[in-house]
Amino acid sequence: MAQHSSKGARFQAVTANRLKDGEVVYFKGNGWIENFAEAEIADGQEAAEALLTRASPDNMEAFILDPYLFEVSESDNGFTPVSVRENIRAKGPTVRTDLGKQAEAG
Amino acid sequence: MPTKTHLIANGAVVDDTWVFIDDETPLGDTPAIISLDRLKAEADTLRSRNAKLGVVIRTNTQGKTKLGEDVRELSPYLDMLTTIAIDFPVYRNGRGYSDARILREELGFKGELRAIGEVLFDQWSFMARCGFNTFEIDSSIPVKAFNEALNELSEAYQPAVDNQRGVLWRRHGL
Amino acid sequence: MYRYDEFDHKIVTDRVNQFRGQVNRRISGALSEDAFKPLRLMNGVYLQLHAYMLRVAIPYGTVSSKQMRMLAHIARKYDRGYGHFTTRQNIQYNWPALDRIPDLLEELASVEMHAIQTSGNCIRNVTADQYAGAIADEIEDPRIISEIIRQWSTFHPEFSYLPRKFKIAVTGHENDRAAIKLHDIGIVIVKNDKGETGYEVHVGGGQGRSPFIAKKLTDFVPAKKLLAYLEAVMRVYNMLGRRDNSYKARIKILVHETGETEMRRLVEEEFAKIDASQMLSLPEAELDRISAYFAPPNYENLPAQSDAFEAAKEGNPEFSHWVKTNLVPHKTPGYGIVNISLKPIGGIPGDATDAQMDVIADLAERYALDEIRVTHEQNLVLPHVKLDEAKEVYDILCAHDLATPNIGLISDSIACPGLDYCNLANARSIPLAQEISTHFADLDKQYDIGELKIKISGCINACGHHHVGHIGILGVDKKGTEFYQISLGGSADEKASLGDITGQAFTEDKVVDAVDTIVETYLNLRQPEERFLDTYRRVGMDPFKEQLYAD
Ligand code: HEM
Ligand code: SF4
Repeated sequence: MAQHSSKGARFQAVTANRLKDGEVVYFKGNGWIENFAEAEIADGQEAAEALLTRASPDNMEAFILDPYLFEVSESDNGFTPVSVRENIRAKGPTVRTDLGKQAEAG
Repeated sequence: MPTKTHLIANGAVVDDTWVFIDDETPLGDTPAIISLDRLKAEADTLRSRNAKLGVVIRTNTQGKTKLGEDVRELSPYLDMLTTIAIDFPVYRNGRGYSDARILREELGFKGELRAIGEVLFDQWSFMARCGFNTFEIDSSIPVKAFNEALNELSEAYQPAVDNQRGVLWRRHGL
Repeated sequence: MYRYDEFDHKIVTDRVNQFRGQVNRRISGALSEDAFKPLRLMNGVYLQLHAYMLRVAIPYGTVSSKQMRMLAHIARKYDRGYGHFTTRQNIQYNWPALDRIPDLLEELASVEMHAIQTSGNCIRNVTADQYAGAIADEIEDPRIISEIIRQWSTFHPEFSYLPRKFKIAVTGHENDRAAIKLHDIGIVIVKNDKGETGYEVHVGGGQGRSPFIAKKLTDFVPAKKLLAYLEAVMRVYNMLGRRDNSYKARIKILVHETGETEMRRLVEEEFAKIDASQMLSLPEAELDRISAYFAPPNYENLPAQSDAFEAAKEGNPEFSHWVKTNLVPHKTPGYGIVNISLKPIGGIPGDATDAQMDVIADLAERYALDEIRVTHEQNLVLPHVKLDEAKEVYDILCAHDLATPNIGLISDSIACPGLDYCNLANARSIPLAQEISTHFADLDKQYDIGELKIKISGCINACGHHHVGHIGILGVDKKGTEFYQISLGGSADEKASLGDITGQAFTEDKVVDAVDTIVETYLNLRQPEERFLDTYRRVGMDPFKEQLYAD
């Protein structure tokens, strides 16, 4: 599996899968949401670490699997994940655009 | 590995009278479980000792040259041993299942075969089928749960060390 | 086909209940993810990119129409209306919710199916020749011994926590369609000088990061002793296989590091002990009982030539093309073996919708003596179709986009799920298969190119068999972008070989061009009757390399 963030990454967000159904989720505030567009973005490594810590409390395992940081970049219409992998997680299979989050959004 | 364990034998929690003794500590006259190396080195003196003796077989996860200790090395000493403990360093390392069957089936060991280390819920019944008869498990697990787990899978296709004959044979009254 | 007796039912039902308990304990928090993961894996449940994935076993690739209807029902009720048939003769569902999987498994059990040992470091689903029982010149139906191995290996108490996963494949025919030399154990059914049937055992093949062709450890083991022999191989592996590095834990590495001769000696020594104990000596009566389930079905007495079939070919060139690529001669006069391509041009290799599965189930029931097979090349087979009715079958397949006449051709590629679904992937696989298939859509061109097997994996685990593709494509990751390495000259049949890497990897947009260049180079160099693989074996890598990296 690839690294999720490059060394000098500036912007990062936290993602995981939900225990019950495996759904891709993102951390925001003090909870988890399904839509990447609403994910909380950390600016800088320190903020990122803090975000990950907030997203991983002791009882987290009861409903969320393996939260991790991944790199995002800023563009005109907001943030997008940097890697192909995280783009696919955020949207759904590229070969079935009728499925996954991309289908629900559109 | 669980921090606190209790020992299960014959479906009940039992007092564990055995003590694991490291290689430097002198043996007293209570039941003692020692390492394979010590057993080999001190076999002659140990033979004349007057208390029960056990040995622990360690499985290694590091390096290919150190797969773990070879249970077949026990064969000259089996008559001296009341207990053999087999260590599961992590539940994923299943070498101990073969160790147990070799001891029971090939070497004919009849004494206590004890599973130690990461000995988890979903491995107990496989361990029992391979010839383990005592289990060091997390002491927070009630013995009732242990006994239920052993019976979750009521039939087995293949023969092993327990007295289930294996469905492939039982279908024909064998 | 094999049918469960009360023992088989009990074993599968107990397992469903056990897994229900495990899922409940996980969801209630009593079980940690660390402890739960191996349990869910042993029941075929993975966590993928978007959701859980469930892998359902199709032992030796055989299903009945009733079972196929259940697979369709599950796609509808628990998934998103489709399933993915895999190179290991399994079916994978990409979207089931964890808390509903116990119900799903209970429904599967009602048609004698399960997900047991479709993952985890145990003995996996046994695979076999998809033409078993239907092809001429078979020594014995490989499904008989496969079913025996399935039972013996199910919940084997000693071999459920092996150093790594373990895959067994069986063929009963000299043409190997089960890729037995690329399995941990490959079994070839043979006859000895005395005319007795037995088993030749190959050990230590595999793909993944370090591919190996299996070594033949023995020429002949009689049926009665086969389980003892397999148990001996397994015990040697469980005792001596490496556990320090998961990439070196497969039996192929043990065989390689120990050497073939020493490995054979170790196995023979263990085998002698197990054999002497008689414990695993297979009862004759059990062999007979299981064989009876695979007795030939009731074929009709038909002439070898079907007038209706011949006339249909005359009148319909498309049908006649399809016959040429997708219909294989049957051992019984008047019958044919129908291959159903799951590789429509531009489609996703191996995917089938619930509606398609239902159609195939109906076809099997009406026209194919109620049997369906899954092939390791991700297609399906109706093994016993009357030639008289082949055109009717074809017409129905056509109506459901299931009649692409491309078996064995360039558009019949294998592809793993890749980065579109898989958590371990470096790169996508499916889009490449789609682009290549679209690029070579023209059937005349495909026929001209002839047999050419493209196999695509999204990472070094090689689920898409890229090492043994005539053209193999492997996804690699460079800083979050997808690159693809190409290899040539691999083969998975009885003359198995591993492909050679052409050189530097290609970016995604250059892969189709590269494949095109390889194909053109072959077309220029080939001699009459030469397949791609033959030409490659004759001329070697250089001419291809020259063209590929010309500028
Ligand atoms: C989508 C989830 C999948 C995951 C996580 C996965 C994981 C893996 C891993 C880790 C290996 C390497 C094992 C090793 O070398 O020790 C492997 C090999 C393999 N897998 Fe998969 N796989 C997946 C899907 C598939 C699919 C869809 C197929 C069939 C199309 C498949 C068939 C195989 C085969 C044939 C091999 C290589 C042969 C071998 O070395 O045994 N897998 N898989
Ligand atoms: S080859 Fe790699 S990417 Fe493809 S399915 Fe296997 S593990 Fe996933």
